[in-house]
Amino acid sequence: MKTPRMVIVDGVRTPFCRAGTDLAGLAPDELGRIAVNALLTRTGIDPSCIDEVIFGCVCQPFDAANIARVIALRAGIPESVPAITVHRNCASGFEAITQAAEKAAAGRGEIFLVGGTESMSQVPLLFPQTAAAKFTALAKARNALQKLKALAAFRPADFKPRIGLLLGLTDPVCGLNMGETAELLARELGLTRARQDAFAIESHKRTLAAREKMAAEICPVFNAAGTALATDNGPRTDQTPATLARLKPVFDKRNGTVTAANSSQITDGAVALLVMTETKAAELGLHPLGVLTGYAYAGCDPSRMGLGPVFAMAKAQDLTGLGPADADLIEINEAFAAQVLACLECARSEKFARKVLGRPAALGEIPLEKLNVNGGAIALGHPVGATGARLVLTTLLELKRRSAHRALVSLCVGGGQGAALWLEAL
Amino acid sequence: MNTLSLTTTDLFPGNPVNPVNPVNPVRPPPPRASALPLPASAERAEGRAEGSATPRPTPNPMPTPTLTFINIHRTVTDDALCLLTFDRPDSAANVFDSATLDELDAHLTHIAAHPEIKGLVLLSAKPAIFIAGADVHALYHTISTPTADTRAQLTAMVERGQQLFDRLASLPIPTVAAIHGACLGGGFEVCLACDFRIASPDNATKIGLPETQLGILPAWGGSTRLPRLIGLPAALDLILNGKILPAKLALKKGLIDELAPRENLLDAARRKLASLHGHLPHRPRPTSLAHRATALAAPLIAARVRNQVLRKTRGHYHAVIKAIDVITTGIRHSHEHSLRLERDAFADLATGSRARNLLNLFLLQEHAKKLSYPAPVGATIAASDGRTKRLPLAPSPLVAGGEVCMEISLKQNPPLELLPHPATGAPSIARHDGAGVPTGRAMLGAPVSRDEIPPREALSTAPTAPRVHTVAVIGAGVMGAGIAHWLSSHGVRVILKDINAAAVARGMSAIQKLYDDAVKRRLVTPLEACTGLDRIQPTATDVPLRHVDLVIEAAVERLDLKQKLFRKLAAQVGSNTLLLTNTSALSVTQLGGSPGVSSSVAGLHFFNPVHRMQLVEIIVGDATAPATVQRAVRFAQQIGKLPVVVRDRPGFLVNRILMPYLLEAGHLFTSGAAIEDIDEAMLDFGMPMGPLRLIDEIGMDVSLHVAGTLATAFAPRLTVPAVLQQMIDAGWLGKKSSRGFYDHQGSSAVPNALAARFTTDTRSADLTHQELQDRLVLAMVNEAARCLEEGVVDSPADIDFAMVMGTGFAPFHGGPLRYADATGLREIVTTLDALSRSGSAGGPPASPDSAANRFTPCALLRDLAAVNGTFYPAPGTAGVPACEFGRRLAASSESRGEDAPPLAVEDGCATKATPSRTPSHQPTAPAAHPPFATRNSQL
Repeated sequence: MKTPRMVIVDGVRTPFCRAGTDLAGLAPDELGRIAVNALLTRTGIDPSCIDEVIFGCVCQPFDAANIARVIALRAGIPESVPAITVHRNCASGFEAITQAAEKAAAGRGEIFLVGGTESMSQVPLLFPQTAAAKFTALAKARNALQKLKALAAFRPADFKPRIGLLLGLTDPVCGLNMGETAELLARELGLTRARQDAFAIESHKRTLAAREKMAAEICPVFNAAGTALATDNGPRTDQTPATLARLKPVFDKRNGTVTAANSSQITDGAVALLVMTETKAAELGLHPLGVLTGYAYAGCDPSRMGLGPVFAMAKAQDLTGLGPADADLIEINEAFAAQVLACLECARSEKFARKVLGRPAALGEIPLEKLNVNGGAIALGHPVGATGARLVLTTLLELKRRSAHRALVSLCVGGGQGAALWLEAL
Repeated sequence: MNTLSLTTTDLFPGNPVNPVNPVNPVRPPPPRASALPLPASAERAEGRAEGSATPRPTPNPMPTPTLTFINIHRTVTDDALCLLTFDRPDSAANVFDSATLDELDAHLTHIAAHPEIKGLVLLSAKPAIFIAGADVHALYHTISTPTADTRAQLTAMVERGQQLFDRLASLPIPTVAAIHGACLGGGFEVCLACDFRIASPDNATKIGLPETQLGILPAWGGSTRLPRLIGLPAALDLILNGKILPAKLALKKGLIDELAPRENLLDAARRKLASLHGHLPHRPRPTSLAHRATALAAPLIAARVRNQVLRKTRGHYHAVIKAIDVITTGIRHSHEHSLRLERDAFADLATGSRARNLLNLFLLQEHAKKLSYPAPVGATIAASDGRTKRLPLAPSPLVAGGEVCMEISLKQNPPLELLPHPATGAPSIARHDGAGVPTGRAMLGAPVSRDEIPPREALSTAPTAPRVHTVAVIGAGVMGAGIAHWLSSHGVRVILKDINAAAVARGMSAIQKLYDDAVKRRLVTPLEACTGLDRIQPTATDVPLRHVDLVIEAAVERLDLKQKLFRKLAAQVGSNTLLLTNTSALSVTQLGGSPGVSSSVAGLHFFNPVHRMQLVEIIVGDATAPATVQRAVRFAQQIGKLPVVVRDRPGFLVNRILMPYLLEAGHLFTSGAAIEDIDEAMLDFGMPMGPLRLIDEIGMDVSLHVAGTLATAFAPRLTVPAVLQQMIDAGWLGKKSSRGFYDHQGSSAVPNALAARFTTDTRSADLTHQELQDRLVLAMVNEAARCLEEGVVDSPADIDFAMVMGTGFAPFHGGPLRYADATGLREIVTTLDALSRSGSAGGPPASPDSAANRFTPCALLRDLAAVNGTFYPAPGTAGVPACEFGRRLAASSESRGEDAPPLAVEDGCATKATPSRTPSHQPTAPAAHPPFATRNSQL
């Protein structure tokens, strides 16, 4: 039996808004519901024919366990349709898509509603473990004396919150914060602050230029105040090398080059895609945006996780025979300008190919004209669980607009992984 | 649980923990170790039995052999508990009709004669009803056909229940009511006569005494026992407002003693009984200290409450005043004296016209919930003896009980805390999953024997429309948003569409606010509000509509735009999609436009605010197919609205009758009557709001738009006073612009002093309240008669029902036509003639011509007055409110020629000819398109 190809029929996303701004009040399940709801409405698909809902989410809220199920039920998908939440860090949105493909290949369903959601605004503050133990003791206390004793055990330090977001962005294995891994790449590959800033400015420029195009993929969020939010609020018009140069590095205050401006923004947003097997789409008479033709996840050094895309692209090439040169469009998610630039360096480096990838030749040049043509996460933001699905959606629409054929979409993944998807327009 | 229709109890009917199904072959479980069987103390029990005040000797300890138990089943468990399970056959509801009272009587006799029985538990086998109350239909029948001894009959009927419940209360064994489902009125009064009340914390469980809402009062001991149980202030609050409480709140207020899930009710009752260790519970005497203390304060409380009520209701609601008297006086006297007060008050109230009108409205409301279009053929019960029998009006539980009056009294009686639909905030009582209104016919059930009830299939032959799951609402303005909110709160998924995102955003914000308000008022939980909001799919772009069940168009009121929209929609939707318009003034026939589509186009006219107004008009265009109407009717019922089917005439029904009244108020104002005089006169009449204030609420622009449509259609009879346009020109749009006839600030409004500049003369300045009322009310009466004459609806009852539910027309008057009948049509015609003549002299209008036209009584009024007739059949000739148009028409439409007179006056009762005198669609299928008459039409 031939492995069924997975087509992406349609997709939609909420606007991406900087954390703490327009969407801050919406929980990730609400963001996901809005995207799914809009997708169901605009496709008009009968939700009961969906085989499974698969959603990526990194900072899964405690009050919406298995958030995919919460989203599915709230969006009106019948309770008979199962749902699973997936987590591959920054590639969770990819994971939702590829898992659907794998399920279809295994004969476990044909139609999937996939996507990703993240409210980085709502990642909670946590009590330290010591405090948690003391709270437990307090709850167990039976009489006044015991209660008093339990209370007396608390120390001011117990009330110092642990910032969930910070914890999530720190690799517990290598001990480095994501930004620190970017600093490491910048140091090792000699990526200057100026180069990074220039890349960031280009990202904003391209995103702003694509604003009108992007409107096609955005469903408005209708807030209680009676306004329709339909615009990404990350891109800035006031970015110049001079203004960016004034910013202090965040992760290495003295010698660093990675700043808030040349890193991806911390953002809220959700994406939903309707995917199904190619045969099913034909059967339903649908005209999909594109098809997933191959993909790879690859592991790498967690402290250099930013190079993940190169590893994944290499692995994908082994599987598909396609390299960067075959792509009309290439996306490398802009976790950090330094990290993307590092990927470009390594992709063209024969030395890197031989020494690290164990391949005879370099992966190939990735020209800037093909790369992130509509800007990226530096301008648009990086709601970690949702980004993967957005890259796929944005790229497929761009392929259509350009009447181009093939795209390579990739992400670096915290913890030392890379992910790469090959897409073709239909 | 909207989607979960099955409970595990349903799935496992044999589940031995389900105690409530006596048909269940599984016997109740033997007592558990923890539930000690009651110690056998037969001697004591016997002694008590002798001493107890059993009113009747019981020569035969066995139940009377001639009486078979149909409604109440008795089982005695291994641990000597007697279970009385109420299970009215072929019905979803239990009700205290005469037969049920008989059976309870016999059971009590049996129990009193069997000292081995150690305890009594009352149960219901129904999934959603414990006991819905007394037999309202029988009561209405009695009071609507008054005879010399009606009062005696009523007193006897009340006394019977009182004595029966007294016997229950004085049984020598402990008694428990195990309540699951609606427990209302008489149903709760029997529980009050028990020692303990345990209720399931289920959504179906609703407890209260809503009698005052029907113009009567709790008279089977409820007005006596409740204040003694929960204290005077709390009891007054419950009874005067007809409050119906969910189980949890009932526990908090002391109406019940304990909560237990439905499956555990019997266990809980057992535990309760076991905890007594064989002793009788303490049954407080009215001589206790607490009672004496209350009794001292009673007069003070009475005076205070009476003042409050009078201030709010202007004394229109006699039942409330009477209830105050009975409760506050009764508590100072003996139980027996208090019961006597109940009886007398009940007889006083029930013999009055107000109770009759309110009960009638209640029955009409129940009818609307079951309305079928066309009337199901199978519903005709042609009895074998050739007589046609009366089908119970609207089979539905009293659960929906106080709704009629509750809705009506919203404005009049602000503190009335309506029991919300838990998911919506709507003032409905039971939580019904849309069409899931129990289909029992018991409560209004056939007065007597069981064989009169038609077989179930007879009713189910009515064409049923599938449940509506998804609706597209086009237009997110006030009405569109209101409709979307209402639908979403009733389990319907809604695509809310408008032409741009900003409009959708405003609509979504309005919906959010409606939900927020409902949460704030604790009508819904935050979770329910969230679930409702989640059902709405807002969009500002074209989306596929092929799968939606129906479309409700609520766009701008412009014919050309709407026609264009309908053409576009027709191309977008599936072949089975209904296209409904919420237009309030445009012709549905014209909107339907293109052939092929028009058969599935109808009007579905909601009233503003959608979540408060229960009425919807279903407008039948010339080309509308009967199946379309039927589906629209079912849909209205599914979402808990009360439909009235109306023909496509300008203004339809409610606006058409309301508008002459509002315009008359405008004329009166223009000719010098003071704003407060006009509105006060109508508040005195019993309207919830004066006409000028109402114009402000509606909005000057909307009023003018509707008035304009009507004035064009009915020129020169109807003229629009210039003041409306003048106010619009001044930017005074009414409440929405904070200024109109009143200056509005928040919820308060004071007459707008600046408005005086729009008065042109002072001819009406000195009119008395009575004169003002005449002009205003008769404007409505005259127009209502015209509607009947033209066949806009089929029966006077349709009109009265619609006007009360749609405009709050003083409900105790029964509606404009009922009011006219009560006043006397001759007098009405005389008054109208006088007004018509005086047009140029004292009357307000600008030109004598228009005055003559405005007040000239319509032909139907004149004809009826000439034969001293009435709109309704004269009292005593029929117990059913509606004229039996349908039957006559059904009979006549076959035999009658096309040239039959449009109106016939038969037996002094208005009868109108078939609507389709115009041969446009009549020839197609005269038999398949029977006249609208659905109300008992063929019975």
